[in-house]
Amino acid sequence: MANMKSMPQVAPLDIVMRSLADPTRRAVFERIARADETTVAELTAGSGVTQSAISQHLRSLKEAGLVVDRAQGRNVYYRVEQKGLAPLVDWIGHYGVFWRKRFANLRNLLKDIDP
Amino acid sequence: MNGTDLKTDTQQIVVDEVFPHAPETIWKTLTTGELIGRWLMAPTGFEPLKGKRFTFQTKPAGAWDGVIQCEVLEAVPNERLAYAWRSGDEGNVGYGAPLDTVVTWTLTKVQGGTRLRLVHAGFVTPKNDSAFDSMSGAWPKVVESVGTLAGELH
Repeated sequence: MANMKSMPQVAPLDIVMRSLADPTRRAVFERIARADETTVAELTAGSGVTQSAISQHLRSLKEAGLVVDRAQGRNVYYRVEQKGLAPLVDWIGHYGVFWRKRFANLRNLLKDIDP
Repeated sequence: MNGTDLKTDTQQIVVDEVFPHAPETIWKTLTTGELIGRWLMAPTGFEPLKGKRFTFQTKPAGAWDGVIQCEVLEAVPNERLAYAWRSGDEGNVGYGAPLDTVVTWTLTKVQGGTRLRLVHAGFVTPKNDSAFDSMSGAWPKVVESVGTLAGELH
């Protein structure tokens, strides 16, 4: 299996939301986020959920573009795809960037008209 | 106090900066059509009068014509300006999604200038709010991502 198994793609908002709507899956996602990189075995340990259930959650998170994996030796390592939450935040992020840019414009304009 | 506030339910964007200019000068840039056009976008029909409707033309998306429909909700000279900011279409996700929001500008005289605070409020989070509630642990990461993204978006 190739080292880079999945090319991250931005998934539609509803797929991201559906994937994160499941509390167990969300917990898995949070654990991956905190661990930086982790394996199915590590995620299963102490989770109270079977390894196959964890694997299913990982599949859903992967399909939603929220996590990516890489194979190394016998292990598969999972980490959070930084852009995965983009559908959730980009429409708000868009306006955050928009207004900050406008503040910068305003500052320049004020310098011009009121030096 | 720069930054993006993330909340459950509805979210708002807050930008808050101090400018080395008098409130009267800043008020002028916020309320004069020609000047608004020089830092924000050129408005059509703007006047700083409560109830006044005006528009901004932006890039269309899907069934949305790109027009932002605004209405002055409050105008207190040199202190406070609020307008409704409505746009988008149900068929769009992300850019061009429906927005029914309020933009509020607050000017406060401070030493050496004016504190200008923008609150753009009323971004309704997707229906499944629980996804946000239970993600507090992941928020530092999420917020980091927002920062990274913000840099890439424009």
